[in-house]
Amino acid sequence: MIDVSAFNDALGIMFTSVGSWGWIVPGLIVGLVFSAIPGISITMAMAIVLPMSLYMDFFSAIVFLTSVYTGAGFGGSVPAILMNIPGSPSSFATTFDGYAMSQKGEHNEALGYALFASTLCGIAGYVLLLLVIEPLADIVLRIGPVEMFAVAIWGMMLLGSLGSTYISRGLLAAALGILLGTVGMNTAGFTRGTLGLPVLLDGIAPIPAMIGLLAASQLLSLASRDYIIEAEGSREVSLRKILKGCWGTLKYPGVLLRGSIIGIIIGAVPGVGSSIGNLIAYAETKRTAKDSATFGKGNPKGVIAAESAVASGEGGSMATMLALGIPGGGATAILIAAFMMHNIVPGPSFIETQKPMVYAIILNNIVQAVVLLAVGIGFIYVASNIMKVRTRYVLPAILVIATLGTFAVTGEAAGPITLFVFALLGYALNRYQYPVSAVVVGILLGRMLETEFLRSYQLSGGNPLYILERPGAMAIFAVMFASLAMTAWGKRKQNRAEAAEALAMRQIQEETRAAHTTPSKG
Amino acid sequence: MTDFTRRDAFKISAGGLAAVSGMVAMPSILRAATYPSRPINVIVPFATGGYNDRLSRAFMPYLEQELGQPLVIVNKPGAGTQLGNSYALNQPADGYSILCTSAAPYIPLTVLLQNAPYKVEDFSMINLPSRDYTLAATSSGGPVKTFAEVIEKLKKDPSSLSIGVQPASADYANMVLAFQAAGVDASKLRIVTYDGGGPARNATAGAQVDVGFVGGEGFLPLKSKVRPLAIFAAEQVDWYPDAPLIGATLKTDFVEGSQRGWAVTTKLKNEQPEIFKILVAAVEKASKNPKAIETLKLQELATTWYGPDASNKAYLDNAAKMAKYVDLLK
Repeated sequence: MIDVSAFNDALGIMFTSVGSWGWIVPGLIVGLVFSAIPGISITMAMAIVLPMSLYMDFFSAIVFLTSVYTGAGFGGSVPAILMNIPGSPSSFATTFDGYAMSQKGEHNEALGYALFASTLCGIAGYVLLLLVIEPLADIVLRIGPVEMFAVAIWGMMLLGSLGSTYISRGLLAAALGILLGTVGMNTAGFTRGTLGLPVLLDGIAPIPAMIGLLAASQLLSLASRDYIIEAEGSREVSLRKILKGCWGTLKYPGVLLRGSIIGIIIGAVPGVGSSIGNLIAYAETKRTAKDSATFGKGNPKGVIAAESAVASGEGGSMATMLALGIPGGGATAILIAAFMMHNIVPGPSFIETQKPMVYAIILNNIVQAVVLLAVGIGFIYVASNIMKVRTRYVLPAILVIATLGTFAVTGEAAGPITLFVFALLGYALNRYQYPVSAVVVGILLGRMLETEFLRSYQLSGGNPLYILERPGAMAIFAVMFASLAMTAWGKRKQNRAEAAEALAMRQIQEETRAAHTTPSKG
Repeated sequence: MTDFTRRDAFKISAGGLAAVSGMVAMPSILRAATYPSRPINVIVPFATGGYNDRLSRAFMPYLEQELGQPLVIVNKPGAGTQLGNSYALNQPADGYSILCTSAAPYIPLTVLLQNAPYKVEDFSMINLPSRDYTLAATSSGGPVKTFAEVIEKLKKDPSSLSIGVQPASADYANMVLAFQAAGVDASKLRIVTYDGGGPARNATAGAQVDVGFVGGEGFLPLKSKVRPLAIFAAEQVDWYPDAPLIGATLKTDFVEGSQRGWAVTTKLKNEQPEIFKILVAAVEKASKNPKAIETLKLQELATTWYGPDASNKAYLDNAAKMAKYVDLLK
């Protein structure tokens, strides 16, 4: 629990280093802009600014980098909502309902929902972190391969919510995605499907592949229109509507809470990162919602669920980093490097000896989330103007930027080539009505599924009863099946109710018909 | 009017041409005299934030001071350093590209296991200050107390303890060698593979696996969460003095862990010996700079000066041992 005297010291650090607060706004803007560019992930945005932070003092550097992190967590949702192209993998689930909303002319509201969910859950994540950082860190270390496999399976269940015309094509597309996700050298040192190319030894780079798959199909379908939104009246950018969306978020505390819990736990697990939390949060919210049929067609709850998991995952990831010195994902790996470059080694001893500093960092992140609200509104106000630009100018610009983004990171042609190959694949899949998003889910989860399954097998020596020794994994599976069963039961009840309603309607109709016919007789 | 004729113009341009071609064909000594005249790229075949990246960035100001030119860090991660190594070999041998890398065991491993299109000898070391060793460790709360206990348990029942290790690594070779020496039936072991030292360490500290075989240096931030059982080094390791040496429990051959530091292509060393000398002198001076030593120590980075000969020998020895035990790695 919280250490009060350390907390007071932390407030002291916060207020004596007010100068470093000046880095919050630039950091947020850098994060927002970079992550809004398709092809540049949060990790890359941070890698780009890391060398800059070397010239700052420690607290300023950390404030700057964590601000980039906070901003980047939200920035990806802007292109996801406006153009159906996620800025980074963690905003993939935001596209499902965010883009549908913006097609209905509700892009202002959708961005508002995303921003408020992002800030609220970002704050929630860090407040929780302040209270439970140490116990959380210990729990995280106990999460083993079987538990992780259960999480990956849970993520795969999202496929059921994606909805496509043909179930068989959906499954086939997912299988293709998983296969693509396992290309390269696996955890046991075996190499598959690299075509002899050394670049593929680490697997297919997920970001260019994802952008290629999603952007190609999306841009081609947009190319036939004059503007991203057809109806001229809906293209407006309205601060009032953005704020309405922000305010509307508060109507769904349940969705926010569920998203935050899923986000924090999954974000805290080393090596999983936020790209999976949003998928699970979305799938769970959809499954448990009464109006699940409207998900994917512009239900604000879908946007809120996805964004809340991304934002709170940041807090979870920071917990693992501060308490154990273990990166939860790529972004925190960069943060650790920044710590080390300022002669501070995060980990158990850091948290024991420098608790005020840890609290100060967490408090500063809460401040950042609040500032993000203001900066974010400004950012989406400016970014939304893309709706007013003709697609013939927007599309080439996006293609060029995305290609450059995938190239810039390593300075290798591998990124753009991956983008191109997957763009062709995306076009073909779309042409024959295979769900592209199922392939993306497969690519994002394929490696984790395989790795954790293989490790579970190695650890258990092939004995399936090993799961009985892992109460955590059993709990995850139990919750998952309970959730499934409840949904199925709820659906059945709903179907019955609908059938009864239909019956009643028919009866009423018959009665009225009878009533109509009776007088005519007389 | 000047008497500037076409003939003069021809003479001048011919002279210019001669001068240019002279520059191109300039003997290496002359080129070395002006070296370095522009910024030097430091190729790090790992992502931002790893050990080599941090080492290069921390050491950069001190090396810049000696060379009188700025350094530019170029991260080329991927394929277990193969991409970065190939990139380095493709650069002109003019001294404007140097490497900061975990030379051993990554270069030998890419050659032995990934059929990388280069030889171990294509790289020459300047200095490899950081030496890591495989550490066998268990979670600090775990039931196993010593390495002898591990051996005893595994001899009775090879599946009684689970083991976490990175495949195709020096750690893996050491694990197999130790169990062979102890007479443990390796085919029945429960080996859990991790694709990196970090995940293997987390699994060890979190008691996901009973014993982990991983590079010891990375354990330092997690020191309070693990119990060291045996370190695969010949003599006590100064950064982990409480780790018992493997030799104390078991007589076995072993491979040294990662050797990280500064390297160039052998082509540069052979074709531009003067430039190589300048680089060696600069790295030596910077490594011995008390301020550099102090700063890097705070970041848990090494600055020890072994020099090119000793470093090269350590690197080639490691490569030879890796080649010897390559069958264990496959």
